[in-house]
Amino acid sequence: MRILVIEDNQTTREYLQKALQEQGYEVDLADNGQDGLFLALEGKYQLILLDRMLPKLDGLTVLSTLRKAGKETPVLILSALDSVSERVKGLREGGDDYLIKPFALSELLVRIEILIQRKGNTSQQLTSTLQVADLKMDLLSHKAFRGGNELTLQPKEFKLLRYLMEHSGQVVSRSMLFEAVWDYQFDPQTNVIDVHMARLRKKVELDGVTPLLETVRGIGYRMVENG
Amino acid sequence: MASVTEWWKTVKQARSIWRLTFLYTGLLLAVVIVLLVVLFQLSIGQMSRQQHLQMDNIIQQQTQLAQQLNNDEFIAQFKLQAESSRQYLLTYQTQSKMIGRLNSIPSNLSQCSKLARFPIWLDKYEEIRLISGCSQSLPDGLLIIAIDDEYLYDLKGQFITASMIALCLALLMGLITGLIFSTRVLKRINSINKVALRVESGQLSARIAVSKHNDEYDHMALHINTMLNQLQHSFETIAGITDAIAHDLRTPLGHLRQQLESEIEANLKHNLPSEQLQSMLEKLDEILFTFSAMLELTRLQQQQEQKSQHFKTVNLQQIMVDAVDLIEPLTEEKQQIIKLKSDLEVSIKGDASLLFRAVYNLLENASKYAGDKATISLQLTKNGFIVSDNGPGICDSEKDKVFQRLYRIEKSRQIAGFGLGLTLVKAIIQLHNGSIKLLDNNPGLSVQVEFSQ
Repeated sequence: MRILVIEDNQTTREYLQKALQEQGYEVDLADNGQDGLFLALEGKYQLILLDRMLPKLDGLTVLSTLRKAGKETPVLILSALDSVSERVKGLREGGDDYLIKPFALSELLVRIEILIQRKGNTSQQLTSTLQVADLKMDLLSHKAFRGGNELTLQPKEFKLLRYLMEHSGQVVSRSMLFEAVWDYQFDPQTNVIDVHMARLRKKVELDGVTPLLETVRGIGYRMVENG
Repeated sequence: MASVTEWWKTVKQARSIWRLTFLYTGLLLAVVIVLLVVLFQLSIGQMSRQQHLQMDNIIQQQTQLAQQLNNDEFIAQFKLQAESSRQYLLTYQTQSKMIGRLNSIPSNLSQCSKLARFPIWLDKYEEIRLISGCSQSLPDGLLIIAIDDEYLYDLKGQFITASMIALCLALLMGLITGLIFSTRVLKRINSINKVALRVESGQLSARIAVSKHNDEYDHMALHINTMLNQLQHSFETIAGITDAIAHDLRTPLGHLRQQLESEIEANLKHNLPSEQLQSMLEKLDEILFTFSAMLELTRLQQQQEQKSQHFKTVNLQQIMVDAVDLIEPLTEEKQQIIKLKSDLEVSIKGDASLLFRAVYNLLENASKYAGDKATISLQLTKNGFIVSDNGPGICDSEKDKVFQRLYRIEKSRQIAGFGLGLTLVKAIIQLHNGSIKLLDNNPGLSVQVEFSQ
């Protein structure tokens, strides 16, 4: 797994390199847009971390040039520009995700994993049912069952559970859950997602059944097959 | 209807100008009246006074003659006198005969020199004329003197008509001048008021148009514009400084955050305690959140000037439903009841994420401050929404202040928060051409948001 980090700030660049290497990724670095684009066009990366404001060539230009050249490498944009329109601009130019500086490393790692996974899964067949252990979800009839018993879920709880099941085995952060279920660009900045998860948990994990939902400290949640 | 209320507003605003107009018209009328009275006294009044004087003279003369002469002598001189006097009709009545120009005594005649009007019949002219006269008792008979003053009466009538016309004209002129004056003044005052309103609503770049007349209003406009320039400049400087601080501190604080995270990571690996570092990280995150909220606020307030182009049609109803969905478990924890009334289809041009944030922040505030077991309601209206609760509410003196950056009500300081929430909400609402009002819900607080799109 090779990741390209295009970032002009030395401290951040080295920090990212160290953190990613610890996770077992191979890391290449570029400190300006021009070098970054040159490396990215080689196409040997599973993911590119791209800063928005770069010397020589701006981040967005790097991104659009890359996409025009037909390279579909997932790109996670890192930026201090956190307005909604900036985010929309970044995603429209072909970015796959957008993270605002300063970010929590855990959040970044979780998102990187999801992006790399997603790229691998694109060939997967579209399914109408999801299953994790004895938890089943029928996407067409909007029903979920635990060991044969139907769960009574609110529409938002259904979406929450669906997102967790779709990413079972992976850690998903609170803000990823919020964005997936509510689809607004904003960080509620409270424990509100935890409260939602606590509720969902009560419904999914009745007494005596194997817990499927795992809390990952400081980051978010993970759905596991055999917890 | 709208134009009528609009007009009434203008009229109410114009009260002082109307007062001036009426005062001016009143003074004008008073001057005209005084002029007319003086004119009357100098012309018609003078004439009628002279007539009375002459009549008095004749009566006095005749009375003296009647006392000095015997009756026959008096009658002889009286005949001469009566015939020679053209202007005055003289008549003398004794028990047996009447001498003079009148052939009967009018019944309403009074003692001289109090004049009474009575009609006489003139053969020659075949007409009836009204004349004035009086009677004086003499030792042997009754002396009657009368004067044909109908022309004087006609003149008086004409004078009064003319005066009335003059007064009406003066009144009309006063009102028209006043009206023109007031509308012109009002127009300019209103243009100043409009600019003031725009500035009040956050458009600091609004300026008053200056005309070529170079009059007092232009001077005032120039002064206000200069003042606004200075204000805008200091605002921008302050916002710039705040931004620069927040922005410049964000990078080193971000690095600090990275180091803390690595430290925690390392501690976890070696099974060392990291609670203290964790709580430091949380505090740091709070600071970073406040900074980004401040930066966002400044950006929102600047966008005001160049209304966002990325606005799309947004369904307010959907936003209400989503916001209630998000807050609902939090309110449930505090045993609060949340009610949503959204049976209308309302859509506005805007930014869905920002609007969601505003609605959610207001709901979050209600839940935070209304206390356990409170009832919170969110109601969609024709052009906005209302968030109300039955908690302790906010007293009037604090209602404006809560919108200020970093302001926190004294008694709510122990509740977590940064005092930026409502400021952000207001900036978002204003960006969408809306207004936000805090009202008493008796008990509790009612936040009314209206968009004027």
